[in-house]
Amino acid sequence: MGVIRAEPARITDWAARSIGAAWRAFDLQLAAYAGLLAILGLVMAYTNSVEQGQAVLSGGTTFVRGLMWTGIALIAFVVTTAFDYKWLKTFAWPLYALQLGLLLATLAIGHGVGGASRWISVGPFDFQFSELAKILMIVVLSNYLGARQGRLGSLTSILGACVLVAPPWILVMLQPDLGTSLVMIGILAGMLFMSGASLRWLGSMAGLVLASLPIVWNYILRDYQKQRLLSFLDPSSDTQGAGYQLFQSQIAVGSGGLTGTGLTNGSQNQLNCLPVQESDFVAAIYLEELGFVGALVLLVLFAALLFRLMVAGWRSKDPFGMMFASGLASMILFQLVVNLGMVIGLMPITGIPLPFISHGGASLISLAVGLGIVQSINIRQTRAEW
Amino acid sequence: MTPLLDGRRQYSRPNNRFLIFALAAILAIGGLTTRLFYLQIVNGGQFTVLSEGNRTSAEAIPSARGLIYDRRGVALVKNVPTFAVKIRPVDLPEDRRDDVVSRLASLLNMDPADINGAIDSNPGSRFDLVRIATDVPDATARLLSEAGDALPGVEVVIEARRQYPLGTLVSQLLGYTGPVSPDQLPALRTEGYLPDDLLGKTGIEAYYETQLRGTYGSKTVEKDASGRKIQDLQTVTQAQSGDSLTLTIDAKEQALAQKALLWGMRAAGLKRGVVIVENPQTGEILAMVSLPTYDDNAFARGISGKAYAKLLADKNKPLLNHAIQAHYPPGSTYKLVTGSGALSDHKISTSTRVTTRPYLLLGQTKFWEWNHRGWGAIPIMLGFAHSSDTFFFQLAGMLGIDRLAHWAKNFGFGAPTGIDLPGDQAGIGQGYDVVTPIQLINAYAALANGGKLYKPQVVRQIIGPDGSVVRPFAPKLIRRLAVPRSVLTTMREAARNVVLVRHTYNLVDLPIVVAGKSGTAEFGIRDSKGRLPFHSWFIGIVPKNPKKVASDPTGMKAMAREDAQLVVLAFAYDSRTKGNTATEIVKYYLQLHFNIKHDYRNFDLLHRGNFYQSN
Repeated sequence: MGVIRAEPARITDWAARSIGAAWRAFDLQLAAYAGLLAILGLVMAYTNSVEQGQAVLSGGTTFVRGLMWTGIALIAFVVTTAFDYKWLKTFAWPLYALQLGLLLATLAIGHGVGGASRWISVGPFDFQFSELAKILMIVVLSNYLGARQGRLGSLTSILGACVLVAPPWILVMLQPDLGTSLVMIGILAGMLFMSGASLRWLGSMAGLVLASLPIVWNYILRDYQKQRLLSFLDPSSDTQGAGYQLFQSQIAVGSGGLTGTGLTNGSQNQLNCLPVQESDFVAAIYLEELGFVGALVLLVLFAALLFRLMVAGWRSKDPFGMMFASGLASMILFQLVVNLGMVIGLMPITGIPLPFISHGGASLISLAVGLGIVQSINIRQTRAEW
Repeated sequence: MTPLLDGRRQYSRPNNRFLIFALAAILAIGGLTTRLFYLQIVNGGQFTVLSEGNRTSAEAIPSARGLIYDRRGVALVKNVPTFAVKIRPVDLPEDRRDDVVSRLASLLNMDPADINGAIDSNPGSRFDLVRIATDVPDATARLLSEAGDALPGVEVVIEARRQYPLGTLVSQLLGYTGPVSPDQLPALRTEGYLPDDLLGKTGIEAYYETQLRGTYGSKTVEKDASGRKIQDLQTVTQAQSGDSLTLTIDAKEQALAQKALLWGMRAAGLKRGVVIVENPQTGEILAMVSLPTYDDNAFARGISGKAYAKLLADKNKPLLNHAIQAHYPPGSTYKLVTGSGALSDHKISTSTRVTTRPYLLLGQTKFWEWNHRGWGAIPIMLGFAHSSDTFFFQLAGMLGIDRLAHWAKNFGFGAPTGIDLPGDQAGIGQGYDVVTPIQLINAYAALANGGKLYKPQVVRQIIGPDGSVVRPFAPKLIRRLAVPRSVLTTMREAARNVVLVRHTYNLVDLPIVVAGKSGTAEFGIRDSKGRLPFHSWFIGIVPKNPKKVASDPTGMKAMAREDAQLVVLAFAYDSRTKGNTATEIVKYYLQLHFNIKHDYRNFDLLHRGNFYQSN
């Protein structure tokens, strides 16, 4: 393929050659795009802090916390890159147990808004374990689907994957965290597709799910659940809450224009018009302050990142590697589309963070771990070939 | 180490799936880009405007409400700055509402039901402020503005409220200001009223609302999305103060009239009474007292629901200005219409003698003369003076019902007088069943001035904020009576004769010339002795030069003139007294007005008990 740079063996500088080869196989572009996105996230943390009138460098501001999480994420990235990803296959089932454990712990001792349990306090910080669970989900699915290569034409493989996803998915729904559960479905769909599973079966299953919706609606859901879903699907029915947010968000985005109002100058942000402006609606602030040009930069970075992930998957001779890269790409693409779609009024409001940009330690660290694993796959493909 | 993968064992890479996934990603990101292009570039300007509108909004600058003075310049109302407590419903979480309302109620010493009522009947939107309490003490206001998070949605606002220094003395005339009611708001909104605005609700405050209010200015303010004001940005238009009013009312005369009425009501044990003093030459009302009354300051401060309900439930209707808003049977005072009509239609002349009798028989019914004897054959000068019932029955018969109605209408009965106060009543029937006190005094004012029926007025001038006269005073003539002036002169002389024949007891002894007519109007149901309760009336006319002079011992010459300076009406509701209470009240007022030292009041005539004997 031309991507694998094999060199003549020289026993004398084995160590140097090994590190050099690894460095050459390390996807610098992938790391650079992710790093730039993380820096944009820090910029948004900075502008949010300034606009909330905080002394930016004093403890506890969004910016300082962002710096800290970025540091931790960098370490997590380096560690996972160095770690041989193949152990993940060996420990797939324990990792699956860990995932369920984290989600169970969240349910048991977690806390959140309005009776939900989403975060677990780790020292002074709140950590959302469901973010990490998504990465573990990808690991488990990659192992399962990778091992079943060649048998994916059958329905059992597809159903097996669904059965694997079901327990964590139910645990997330119990929190309740509709956003993360949707992301999990997105990951499952993306990975099943990329695994080469029979399109006929996938199509029929999707059709079956769609066809069963009216039955679920009429016979299974209770009235209050329907109501929640309705207001979820139709934000304008709740003008004071979600609908209001959506409207303000579109105003923010629209007033950005071509070049934006400039960092820290967003009127919507300064005037506190957007309730969750540091997390799920951070993109609205970004788009207002940096405008269409900023939007293009963001989208190009995401596109490039996704491209490098797909290249990593393509390169991998190990089906696990290909599956993992696809899963991570599916996750990032899904979150990007749903979050930005929500901010610009194409999608209903869900609590899905924008990767790298939304503030949240768990999200950033999970991404760093995921990217680290992909780099580990990159490096070890080279060695394997050689 | 895991086994190396070689070419043979390499799994088949799903190339098509990669291609499709990449296409899907390109489509998705392309879609986002397109939508962003549409939002930020194509529609960008529109959203910038929206965003600007989000942070700045127009806010009204209240104008200073015009003041009200009496004819001598005594201030009848002041604007005083006070703290008002308001709630913005959108900021008050529903689950905390009960808690906030009960805490607020205890802090403000209010009934929680009143607060809940105010929020629920909020005429504006949930973003508009709702008035909860006006005139909150400083300490409470400070406490509330510091409470902040403990009382979400509660705001303390500084605003001007009305203070009426004379209180109950002029309350029914002035009326009061109060919050806009929900049913008024839609119409008022277009005129620039705010849902939490104050406006004149009754009396002069209501009738002259447009002039008093002035024009609100407008400023742009910066707000955050939750509606909290950050700062004032700029004044778009300045507020224009309202015009001030100078009344025709003389606060001093008002006080005298009220003193006289209060004395009469107390002495005779009355529940309601009215005194009106009018300048017959211009239609200016110098005093207008209706008792019982209320304190308009209670309303300006924001009356509690309970206190208001109590005022509404009072069967003597203190909120009603009985001088203009209530009608009563006129009794014998109405003989002015019958007499003038009969003379004008030439049914009788001044010398025609009509035989009075103990009673008249109409069919089977006896209509008794009030003294059950009669006075024999007498001319109108005596018939009117003695207020002979049989005399005027016969005159009414000569006129017929249509002509009688015609003359009643000519004197202004059966139609609102057009006085510049809200609630002016027309009276019921063909103009002669019931009359309002203002209609009655206005008819006698026309008698006094020789036939000019003026529109009664309580506001003399409208003064602009700069002190210039916006609208000077001008008498407003409703019509000239169709009654010839000679007939009116006869009727005025007859009215003087009422006093001279001592029909009104010692009124004639006053050192001034007074003419007048009393009236006793039966109403309601007979008691065990077949007697009816009655109201009493008296309208007195005082000539320009009331001093008794040797050249005019009877005062007839003075009354022949058309230059009367005063017409005074007293109405005593349900006055079952020995004598005519209304006459005593007018007499007392005249004593006070002309500073007559000797007291001519007949205390014995005011003893209560149903002595139906005088007319």
